[in-house]
Order: sequence, then C-alpha cells, then structure tokens
Amino acid sequence: MAWPPSPDELIVVDAPEPGGAGGLYRAFGETLRGLKTTFARVVEGPTTIQYPEEKVPVYPRFRGRHRLHRFEDTGLEKCVGCSLCAAACPADCIRVVAAENTPEHRVSAGERYAAVYEINLSRCIFCGYCEVACPFDAITMGHDYEMSDYNRSDLIFTKEMLLQEPFERTPLRAEGE
Amino acid sequence: MSTELDRPTGAPNAYREQEASIDLSARMHPIPAEAPEQELLTLNMGPHHPATHGVLRLLVTLEGEVVRDLKPIIGYVHTGIEKTAEDKSYWKAIPVMERMDYLAYYFNAMAYCGAVETLLDLEVPKRAQYLRVIHLELNRIMSHLVWLGTSALDLGAISMFWYCFRDREKILDLFEYSSGQRMHTRYIQVGGVIDDLPAGFDAKLRTFLDDMPTRVDQYLDLLNRNEIALQRLRNVCPLDEATLLSLGVTGPLLRAAGNPWDLRKAMPYSSYEDFEFAIPVGRKGDNYDRFAVRCAEMKESVRIIRQALDGLPEGPWITEDRKVALPPRHELATSMEALIHHFKLVTEGYRVPPGEVYYPIEGPRGEYAVFIRSDGSSKPARVHMRDPSFVNLQATAPMTKDAYIADLIATLAMLDPVLGGIDR
Repeated sequence: MAWPPSPDELIVVDAPEPGGAGGLYRAFGETLRGLKTTFARVVEGPTTIQYPEEKVPVYPRFRGRHRLHRFEDTGLEKCVGCSLCAAACPADCIRVVAAENTPEHRVSAGERYAAVYEINLSRCIFCGYCEVACPFDAITMGHDYEMSDYNRSDLIFTKEMLLQEPFERTPLRAEGE
Repeated sequence: MSTELDRPTGAPNAYREQEASIDLSARMHPIPAEAPEQELLTLNMGPHHPATHGVLRLLVTLEGEVVRDLKPIIGYVHTGIEKTAEDKSYWKAIPVMERMDYLAYYFNAMAYCGAVETLLDLEVPKRAQYLRVIHLELNRIMSHLVWLGTSALDLGAISMFWYCFRDREKILDLFEYSSGQRMHTRYIQVGGVIDDLPAGFDAKLRTFLDDMPTRVDQYLDLLNRNEIALQRLRNVCPLDEATLLSLGVTGPLLRAAGNPWDLRKAMPYSSYEDFEFAIPVGRKGDNYDRFAVRCAEMKESVRIIRQALDGLPEGPWITEDRKVALPPRHELATSMEALIHHFKLVTEGYRVPPGEVYYPIEGPRGEYAVFIRSDGSSKPARVHMRDPSFVNLQATAPMTKDAYIADLIATLAMLDPVLGGIDR
C-alpha cells in the first residue's frame, strides 16, 4: 500500500466558525434539528431492561460461574484431579488436591480423583482457560453471573457446590437466537 | 536537638540546607513582574473527579479562571500488569495483557499476540486475520462510543450518553455472542482466534452494520452543527502538528491536526491492506477536529467490517502448528499425540526463540504496541506496552495552556485518556 495516502483516501472534516449570521441560524435551526432527532427516538420506545425483574438471556458461549460434571450413567465424577485447570489459570484461583481411587471408594472414572477442588471466585477473571485446558470436559463455564455475596470466604466454591445443579437464575439463549 | 546542630557539616546536613534553600513554588509558578498582585491558585482536580475519566489527578495552576500550568499525576490504578506477565507463560499472559486499556481489549490482545507471532515467525490463517479485523473494528466503534458519550456528558449533552451506551450495548452483545464475554474476551489468541463465529452471528452483525451509520448521523445531527457545541469545540485548545509529533502523540489527535498517520494504511497488519477505507483528517487540530475525526472513523470502521464480513475466507481460524496452538478438542479423545501436546502447552507452554520485537497497531486512541524480549524460555523476559493514552496525556499541558478551565474539561474529554492503560 502506498504511503503517503492519496488525497481521495482522506476525509477532511470541517466546520463553520461559530457565531455570526450562521450562528444565529444554527442557534435555532440546528437546535430544532437536534430536537427532531431526540423526539424521533421517542417512538422507538425504551431499550432499558428492568433488571433484576427482567434479565437478558446469555449466549451459549457465555462464561459464567464454573460447573463440575458427573457422568450421567454412572454418577462418577468426570474430574480425575490432573490439575491442568489449575496450571492454566492465569489468576491462580483453582486449588486441586488429588487422591487415589480405591475399589471400595470410587469417586471418579479415572485412577485418581479430586479430593479437594476449590475455586476462589473473588480471584477468578472468567477467562475460561480452565474449560479450555480440561481434557475430560469435567469443568465448564456455566451461565450464572449473579454471584455477589456478603462474605469473601463464601466466594470460595468447593467441589460439592460446583457439582450441584445451579439455581436457574439466568436464562440462556438457543444457538443462533 | 543540639546533637542535630552539632553534627559535622557532612553530606546529610548540607543536603538538607541545600534543599531548604530552594524555593520550589517560585520556580514552578513564576509570577510575572508586571502584575505582582495577581495571585495564582494551585488546585487539585481529581483523582476522583467525574471529568477526569478515571483516576487521574491534575495539579492545575489557575489565574482566576485561566489555566496557567497543568501537571497530570498518574499511578492511582497501577496494577503491575507488565510485571505480572513476566511470570506467566505466553499463552496465560493474554488475559492479563487484555486488562490494560479496558476499552480496547481486542487491541491489547492483538498487539501482544502479534508480537509473539512475530517472534515465533508464525503464519496466521487468512480467516483468523479477517475475524480479528471484524472484532478490532467493532472494538474501535465501541471505544469511540464510550468516548463520545462521556465527552458529550462533559460538555453538558446528557442524552448523548444514553444513545451511545445503547449502541455500545449492541456491540458488547456481539462480543458475548462470539467470544463468551462482554469485556476482556480473550478471543484473539497466538496464531489466530479461539473459535469460529457462531451460527447466526453474521445476520446479527449485519443488522448492526445497517443500523450504525444512521446512528452516527443522529449523533452528528445533535452535535455537529449545534451552535453551543461549536462554541465549545471550534478553535478551542488547538495544537499544531509539529508539537504533537515531538510529543509522540498518535491516533485521532494527530490526524485532527492534519497528519494522516494511520498504521492500518502505513504499515498494514492482519490483512488491513485488503480493505478499502479512508482516513479522516482535520485541518486545525482543535477540539472540533478531534471530535469530528472520531465520528468519521466510526463510519469507516463500519465499512471495513462489512468488507471483512463479505470477503471472509473459508479455512481454519487458528494456526495448525501443534507446537503453538492447542489441538482441537475432538482429537483429545482419539489421539495420544494430541493429548501430549495439550498437556505440554497448558502446563509449560511453547518456547519462543530469543529475540526482541516491537509490534505496533492502530488502536482507537493511537499506536498500541507491545515490546517483548524473549530469552528462549516459555515466559517472556520483558513485556512492555506502549499505550497511546499514556503518551497522549503529555499533550494536555501544551494544549490547555492559557485556556479556560471549562475548556480544560472539554480538551481532556477530547483527548480520551483511559487510565487503566496509562497506569497499567
């Protein structure tokens, strides 16, 4: 591409000097044009959404609160405690302590399971790298974004909390909607 | 007390004496001899002031209503992002780097990923480049909408704020659609973008593109020829091209002074050479030109997005180099090699050959550039962001010299500083 650009590649912006006879016209004419623009918006109706009574549905790719998953048929946890999510987390908010599965005490489908799985949601930046990193789809980003709490310690989500079905608080859009 | 005085005239005391002998107030604000009765007032504007667009503190010296001297004091939202990035692997630093300039996250990520790709000598697929352009230009419109809304608010036009944020909402909605988050999307990755466009995105974006130029016309109907806006903007706080260049100012501020410097045309990156668009320039470099240049840029961005959407090539959206990009998810269950690559990339990351790179791109506020020095490991040895807000802020003092304090507010608004980018 040629540099410097040719004059037809430029848009030169300009405006009249304020004041004078033109200013007198603009004080009325342009103000009326502005008012016309404002009043024309009235017929478009309000775009405000009355949150929290009314909620915007989120898109399928929306990254909200994390969820841990179980296999539907066996009920075993998908997480095998590999700590890949903790390694991928740029905010260092995931803590995983793995333990061995035994025949009497089988928690996950793999050799090991996550004995401790904690996510500190007050540190989380919702980048979704944990979801990208997980090779077993054990952790996904849900679509819950209403997570505020009164206590910081309540924002450390344990494995039990992450495994539970979340309250359906936020509507989800279908693909392509 | 006596011990303090009895000390031999060594270094510490001599220094204190020298320090006490300097009258800093006279040096900073010399009072002209002809008007000794004129008193100067030193005033803190900010850091918590709605007109400073963030946590910016301005130490202004006023003579009545006229600004005689101005010192921007920054650092109130310093987050140490550059240092944090040194401790992360290249992949993990992307969401961190995105959080600098919180109105231009795609640009932050683009500059960073472009720099890493240059060091890796990585080819980015054409589709990824086009997808990047679509999102970068959407981000530019979004940033300009926030600027227009808040700047008009500073000038007293409150309804502009609602109109601009209404349209910004549509862009954030599109961001959420394609990348899952409204802000800090980490959509741009090293080697491409994280995912293809979802089904239905095309139609939604086209509705927005049809809508946006009329919206910009509506904003211009309200402000462009409004006599009050003209009085507040035309011929106010101009700065000539030479001074701007010597201060390193880029972006719409420089273009308003008549210099058509735009990196998208001057040094095309990410396939910008494929698109046809014009560069808006001003004549005088006053506040009106800064306003009009940005408004015209929004329309040009719409043009670019439309071309990119029409000409979107088929193909992969991220590089197929398995040493850099994560393998596709379906391969994890079938291919051992893919699983090993996945583990390796997530835990350690890819190693980048040693070297230094400076990668500039054209952002909504000027030249965003990332400097990376690599020592051959999987973490950057040094990351530095050249943020345009930081450099452009230097121009505040020469612009507002001997202007009214009300014009200082307008000029600061037209400067469009983002404090997250300035302090980093």
